[in-house]
Amino acid sequence: MSKTLYWIQGGSCGGDTWSLMNADTPDPVELFDAFDIDVLWHHALSVTSLKDLTLLNQRILSGDQPLDILCVEGSVINGPDGTGRFDMLPEGPRKDFIYDLAQRAWVVLAVGTCASFGGIGADTEAMAGGLQFNKWEMGGLLGETFLSSGGYPVINLPGCPCHCDVVVGTLSALATDTVVNLRHHNTPSDWYGVMVHQGCTRNEYHEYRVEEKQFGERGCLFFHMGCHGPLVTGPCNKALWNRRSSKTRVGVPCFGCTRPDFPQQYPFFETRNIEGIPIELPDGVSRAHYMAYKGMAAAAAPKRLMERKTSI
Amino acid sequence: MATIKKIIPLNRVEGDLEIHLELDRDHVVKAAKSVGTMYRGIENLMTGRGPLDSLVITPRICGICTTAHLNAAAKALDMAYQVSIPADAHRLRNVTLMVEQMQNDLRHLFLLSMPDVTRPRYADHPLYAEAMARYQPLKGPSTVQTLQETKKLIEIIAILGGQWPHSSFMVPGGVVSVPSGSDIAQCRHILSSFRKWYEKRVLGCTLDRWHAVGTCDQLQDWLAEAVAHRDSELGFFIRFCLSAGLDGLGRGHDRFISAGGPDLPKPGGDIIPLFPAGIFTPAGTAPLDLEKITEDVTCSFFKKTPGHPFDSRTIADPYTDDERKYSWAKAPRYDGQPAETGPLADMLMADKPLFVSWVRSNGASVFIRELARMVRPAMILPAVEQCVAGMAHVDAQFYTDTLKPLSARSYGVVTAPRGILGHWVVIKDGKIANYQVITPTAWNGSPRDRHGIRGPWEEAITGTAVRDPDDPVEVEQVVRSFDPCLVCTVHAIMLS
Repeated sequence: MSKTLYWIQGGSCGGDTWSLMNADTPDPVELFDAFDIDVLWHHALSVTSLKDLTLLNQRILSGDQPLDILCVEGSVINGPDGTGRFDMLPEGPRKDFIYDLAQRAWVVLAVGTCASFGGIGADTEAMAGGLQFNKWEMGGLLGETFLSSGGYPVINLPGCPCHCDVVVGTLSALATDTVVNLRHHNTPSDWYGVMVHQGCTRNEYHEYRVEEKQFGERGCLFFHMGCHGPLVTGPCNKALWNRRSSKTRVGVPCFGCTRPDFPQQYPFFETRNIEGIPIELPDGVSRAHYMAYKGMAAAAAPKRLMERKTSI
Repeated sequence: MATIKKIIPLNRVEGDLEIHLELDRDHVVKAAKSVGTMYRGIENLMTGRGPLDSLVITPRICGICTTAHLNAAAKALDMAYQVSIPADAHRLRNVTLMVEQMQNDLRHLFLLSMPDVTRPRYADHPLYAEAMARYQPLKGPSTVQTLQETKKLIEIIAILGGQWPHSSFMVPGGVVSVPSGSDIAQCRHILSSFRKWYEKRVLGCTLDRWHAVGTCDQLQDWLAEAVAHRDSELGFFIRFCLSAGLDGLGRGHDRFISAGGPDLPKPGGDIIPLFPAGIFTPAGTAPLDLEKITEDVTCSFFKKTPGHPFDSRTIADPYTDDERKYSWAKAPRYDGQPAETGPLADMLMADKPLFVSWVRSNGASVFIRELARMVRPAMILPAVEQCVAGMAHVDAQFYTDTLKPLSARSYGVVTAPRGILGHWVVIKDGKIANYQVITPTAWNGSPRDRHGIRGPWEEAITGTAVRDPDDPVEVEQVVRSFDPCLVCTVHAIMLS
């Protein structure tokens, strides 16, 4: 059965939309076609006139037009002082409109870190928040107990931007009434059940603790360059970006953009450490055992890694 | 006299924009205000942060010109860190910047702009059926092909920089990536495939044939020369615009600003910009002097601070009772005057005769702005190919170590897809003390200034005749011909 979709931007850079346009097999057009998704409105794709859009919005809010999938891209702007006046529609603050739409939706997707957790603007006077989280805390615009009429909390699809496969995959599941299994922070386990680090071509450098200390040197970026790959979940090195590569593969540290505290308060491009040992160790490891293991691994490092003679 | 007041929220633009219109009885625009409706307050993210953090945060100002922001931020830090980057790093940065420009130009045209001609406003136009067949949203083959070809093209940025959008591979001193010979070969294959599509479907002729078109008469000759020319996207666009009067719609101040570039390293060490920077008016050109750039906030929801970006601050004033204020965009001015920026400005500064003679005779219009955007890839593509080929040697070097001074005042100015983009940074005690961004859309979509002078697209809208006040397509087309990007216009000022 056909599902309707409405896509709205809040405090957004548009990056999640353009990331979605990277999708291939299916691309967004093929996806909507194959799964019979009726796009009621998308700011970059729709040609609807102002008059018709106003009418459409009224019909959704009154319940005359069923709304199945609501996608929100960008943060909820609450500033200044909780008024929402930093992001206004002609009829009032945008946050109020998003709230009202969410009450009508069968399922609500927070596309990207900003919609999920607040993201860019969370610590500013914009008071950017997420739909059901403000950074680590549940709540957000819709409140801790919100469930859409389909029985889901807000499904969070973090990432800055969100990887296109995540959006396409989640929409495919929802369009075919397949249950979406959620794990931490209400993220789908299919894409957030894997560390960003997994699949990085620099894993062998990580394994033997051969470290990069200067840009372009080739080595593991975790120990000095601020890489969050072993700390956060996301499909970057499993699905790859633009079907080609990933930041960590080319030597850009992972900035942990799927995590609720992105953008972090501490500096990018450097690893917080105490006497050379990172303060944050890979997700879930025992500190004492990890340090012993890394010490031994470094001593066992093969010469070809020490000399950086690999074609990563 | 009775007037009609309208507020139009625009879709198919990047970000949040309303146009407030006053129409007279004949539905001619008497007054227009460009209202940026959102403020993201990115500035406070940067408060006291390390300089390198700008490489992560500023690309996230915009999801479609993210590489341009990265490049501007990196150039500002190159200058602060007093480093001259290796030629191959220069080439790699240029490739990614220009690839982003090309994808933007084509996506803007065929996903965001041309769908306007499928609206009921044009239903009685003789070319309407053809327009529908090409550009019907989500269905038209031109739309679908553009999606497919542009996403392949930007794979180049992923190969060289990890991902698109939002990577941070440019750093002061060069780039972090070290592409292999096979990476560079892949980039060449992608470019070659893109060039075939662009020549066949967009231009309908080779780049060389297009470059031979230098006058309005030669444009007509080109159109008549071959069926492939008439049937290409360019051919259809010219036929439609000229028959629908889009060449007479949306004249602005006819004053243009271009950042020029990118700077292309040549064998022997010379660096030659593809486009020269400068100011163009029909009377002549002048070199770009960054000291003449200021921002005015008389009509913006911000408190007044010094005008030059090194010294200005962004202090939101949301509860003001000053009735002159109406936009969250500031008003950049060059030598006190508004200026239009974008591909047309680049073509004029490059002294392309077709564009120079057209603007001198007719002024700017929806047609000539979008034409410049459609053929800009024909200028850019050979330069990208040259830069990629230039990196293919065994001793290529992509990074050089830098000083890390504790204080600096520096800037990075680049041509983003939509025109001149500048980042100004002040570093004190090793931390960012002030960071200001002036984006192309701040120039084009600026509100009025203290003298009441309209911003470029406010000027271009004024006098536009609208057929249906409930669906004022003509006004939207004028604004869209500037390729508005309001997400960029939010003030990325970072205060200490």
